[in-house]
Formats: sequence, C-alpha cells, structure tokens
Amino acid sequence: MQSLTRNEQDQPEPLKLEIPMGWPKPEKNLFEKNQLTEQGFQLGKKLFYDARLSKNGEISCASCHQQFAGFVTFDHDLSHGVNDGFTTRNAPALVNLAWMQEMHWDGAINHLEVQPLAPLTAPNEMGENLDSVMLKLKKDPEYRRMFKNAFGNAGISSQGMLKALAQFTGSLISANSKYDKMMRGELPFTEYEKRGYALFKANCSGCHREPLFTDNSFRNNGLPLNRFKDIGRQQISNNPDDSLKFKVPGLRNVQLTYPYMHDGSIYSLFQVIDHYRNGIHTEQATLDSSLRNRISMSNKEKNDLVYFLYTLTDSSFLKNPRFGPGELKPAKAEHHLP
Amino acid sequence: MSLLLMKAMVLIMPCSLLDQVAMAQDGELQISFTHSANGEPIVFRDSTYQNAFGENYNIYKLKYYIGQIKVEGLDQPINALPYYLINAAGTNEINLKLPPGKYKGISFLLGIDSVSNCSGAQSGALDALNDMFWTWNSGYVFFKLEGRSSSSSADLQRIEHHIGGYKAGNNVARIIRLHVDGDSSVEISNQKITRLTISLNLDRYWDAVNPIRIAEIPVCMQPGLLAQKMAANFEALFTLNVVP
Repeated sequence: MQSLTRNEQDQPEPLKLEIPMGWPKPEKNLFEKNQLTEQGFQLGKKLFYDARLSKNGEISCASCHQQFAGFVTFDHDLSHGVNDGFTTRNAPALVNLAWMQEMHWDGAINHLEVQPLAPLTAPNEMGENLDSVMLKLKKDPEYRRMFKNAFGNAGISSQGMLKALAQFTGSLISANSKYDKMMRGELPFTEYEKRGYALFKANCSGCHREPLFTDNSFRNNGLPLNRFKDIGRQQISNNPDDSLKFKVPGLRNVQLTYPYMHDGSIYSLFQVIDHYRNGIHTEQATLDSSLRNRISMSNKEKNDLVYFLYTLTDSSFLKNPRFGPGELKPAKAEHHLP
Repeated sequence: MSLLLMKAMVLIMPCSLLDQVAMAQDGELQISFTHSANGEPIVFRDSTYQNAFGENYNIYKLKYYIGQIKVEGLDQPINALPYYLINAAGTNEINLKLPPGKYKGISFLLGIDSVSNCSGAQSGALDALNDMFWTWNSGYVFFKLEGRSSSSSADLQRIEHHIGGYKAGNNVARIIRLHVDGDSSVEISNQKITRLTISLNLDRYWDAVNPIRIAEIPVCMQPGLLAQKMAANFEALFTLNVVP
C-alpha cells in the first residue's frame, strides 16, 4: 500500500488553463494531447530560460522574448542570434498563444508545439540542431529527473521537450490590465482613456479585435517592401494575393513592445498612428480594404488613443514570478567568505 | 457443435474476444523495400547514375514516408501504426498480420495526411529528429532526394529535392496502388509468412509523367506548383513482386 501511495505522489499534477471571463475558447488541439501539468510547465520554463539550447550556449528563448517587455526583445527592431547574426523580423510577443492557430508573422507555423524548431535551427537565431540539443539534455541529471517527472519513463525526447515548451508558452496569459479591470467593473477609465477607447473601437478593432486585440488574420497595412524584400504571407501560401500580408499582432502590453511592425520599422505608438493617418502606401494592390482611405484622426485624438493603448499594460503579467526565470542559484555554495 | 451455433456464438462474443480469434487466424505478410537506379541497387555517394536526359548524378539521401497500407479486398487499413519512414540507405521491412485470402494488390499513401501534419510534436517515424520536418514552414517532407550532379547549377552542384505539402491545392500525398501480374495473387494463409517486395525504380523519377531535368530543377524546397509537378511521377516509381 505504501508503494502505491508513493506512486500516486509521483504522478504529474494536472493543471487547468484558466480562461479569462468572456474570452473565447482556446485552440482545442493545444492541450488535448498534451496534458498541462505543473511538472510539464516547470520543465518548459527551464528549457525556455536555458541558453544551452543554442549552438554556442549564449542564446535562450528568453534572450529574444523578455518577460518585462511582454516577451518581445526590448527596444530592438531585430533580435540577435548566435555569431552576431540578426533576425530579419521583429520578435513577436509570446502572449495568449493558446488562442493562436498559426504562429509567426507569416503564419508559417501550424502548431505551438513545433514552433521552437524554427528558432532552434535557424542559423541566425539559435543555430543548433535537434540531435545536439537532445545530447546536451540527456547529459544533465536535472533534465533526466524533470522529464521523468513530467512524462514518466519515456525519457528525454524531442517530443517531450516541445510539449513542455508549449505548456509553458501556452500558459502565458495576459488578462489583468487596466482595460480588463475596467471591463470587469473594478476600475473606471479616465476621460482620456474613455475617448481613446471609443476611437479604438471606431478605427482599430476591426482587425485588433477584443479581447485578444487581434483577429489572427493576415493583412497588408501599407508598409513599403523592406530591405529584406520580405513579402510575408505570400512566401508561405505561394499566393500573390497574399503579398505583403502579415499577421495582425495582438496589442496586449503594446506600451512596452516597441519598436513596432513585422520589421520593427516604427519606433513609437505615436508614429504608428501617424503611419495609419498619412504613411500608408495606398498604391499597393493587396492593401487591406479598410485602409484604402487611411485613418483620419486629429492630434488630440491621437493622444487619447495612445492613452487607451497604455491601459493594455498588464504589470501583474510582466512581473509574475511564475513566468520569470526564478531565483538564480549561487554558483558555488562552498565559497563563502570566512 | 453445429455451424449455426458457432455463428451465433461469434455474434455474441465481445469485441476483444473477436479480435483474439481474428489474430489467431491471421497470416503474416512481410513487405521489404528495394531501391534501384539504372538497373542496379542504389549505392550511395560512390556510384554515378544517369537519367533519361543524359544527366549524371550521385545519390546522397533517399527517404520517404509511407502509411495507410491497405490490401485490395479489405476496406480497413491493416495495421494500427500509421506511418513508416523508408530510408533507402538501410533495410526496410514491414510486418503485417492480415486475414487469410488471395489478394490482388496493395496500396499505400506516399506522404502524410493533413491532420498528422498539424498535430504538433510527434514521436517515432514522425519525430522531428528524423530530419523530415520543415522547421520554418510547418509540415513534413514526404519524399527527400539529395545528391550531386554536374548538371546542377546550385551551390556545390547539389540536388536537393524536398517534396511535401499538405494544404488544399498544394497537397502532394499520393495513393500508390500496386498489383501483382496477371493471374497470380498475394496469398495469405495462417502459419505461413508471405513475402512481398516493393521496388522503387529511380529511373522513373525523372520522366514518368513530367520531365524533371536536374539542370532546370536542382532544388525544390517548399510546397507549391513545383512539388506537385514532381509528385506526379511518384506512382510510376513503384512495382510489386511476390517473393516465391
């Protein structure tokens, strides 16, 4: 009987994804075949913060997806990879991914579990190969223990690694901003914020749909073809109608996720609104129909709209220790001063 | 026991028991895969082959997925395990149990169905470790041929044909139907292993339906029209033989 009890304690503890009130159902194929557990989440978090996953041991997932900046690369248009490489797109925010079917600016990734394969193997990101990552993990007794706790006796596998990472990243939910508190009736908006919210609903929410602030569609918002000749969605679909279309980004914590756009080419929220007021390249054939006439907005209205966007900052998410790297362990306990 | 009574007993047996009865009576089918070019078994790297357009080439890798194996005359797939990765550089044998009978042929899917392309991280034949998954554009490479050719204009004179695509309009998974010659059949009986060979003749890869000239198509790296053009040659690659 005693051994039975111990076995039960060894079972991973199931977790339930907390769905914020009024939100749609998350992607149903995300945790159906990947039971969310505390052990799986903790393993995913360890992997997320582990630079050994990269070729030279310097770049972790968290290098380019920083919690304090809403899981983008803070203040960077492009991110740094191994060997001083640069990415060609702005690091997207890892937030509310459980409501996202296709990942990346061009929607190239069809399931959250397979997303890490892209940055892991890209020569300008982590530059590693999967066999080598498996070898490194298998050498580490801590990983052997954590994989066993999360997935039983299957051992360390690529499948386990990817499922654990999805448990961590899929749990990154931001739903406690001032906007959310106002919606729940806990806090009022200021007059500026109220006016900004009305402007948002009139001009922006067609694509940046509440409560996720994206409709997960791919659209051309009138930016010029950039120096990387990045045609966006067309590269994946082979369809010329998709030229220059990119995923509509969610706006949660948008105050901190600058610079903006797929290539980080616009630095501030004020400049973003200026783009929609008078920067849109209306000659582009695939430009979104809702932007043909640009967006009319006075300078005062622009200020109000930015005040509203600031209400999407969720400090309880940005500072949640559960999503952070955890306490750094002292390197060597025996090296105390006398 | 009368035959009628036996039939009645079969009808009321629980499913699991029925399965056991079927298992006990099943015969065994062993399918092996062979790969040739210019009439000889493929030797990787060292041997040079020539295609229908007079282009010389060497083969470095030849790998492909098959699954959903069926025999003609049985509706259901005959094995629970859906996919196998065939690597021409190794030996490839598939062992199946199926009810005794005379079958005219066999069919399988060359490629991976769309649902399995979108199901996240997988294990076994579909593990991303097998280097048959596009990391930058999710989906499996169904058929991979790599090598070198003096006709190739690509870097290092590479041939790099990674053929895949599961989305509507770009789907290159093909059902391959193979039959035994004339009046003969694949005979399965219990307590006996029946051996079949599925042979891939790479000579047909270059010109069975569409012409694939190395000079024109040294590289195919993503789903699309080119991959579809190449996949049109798939069915003609294979022949089925009963090992006497």
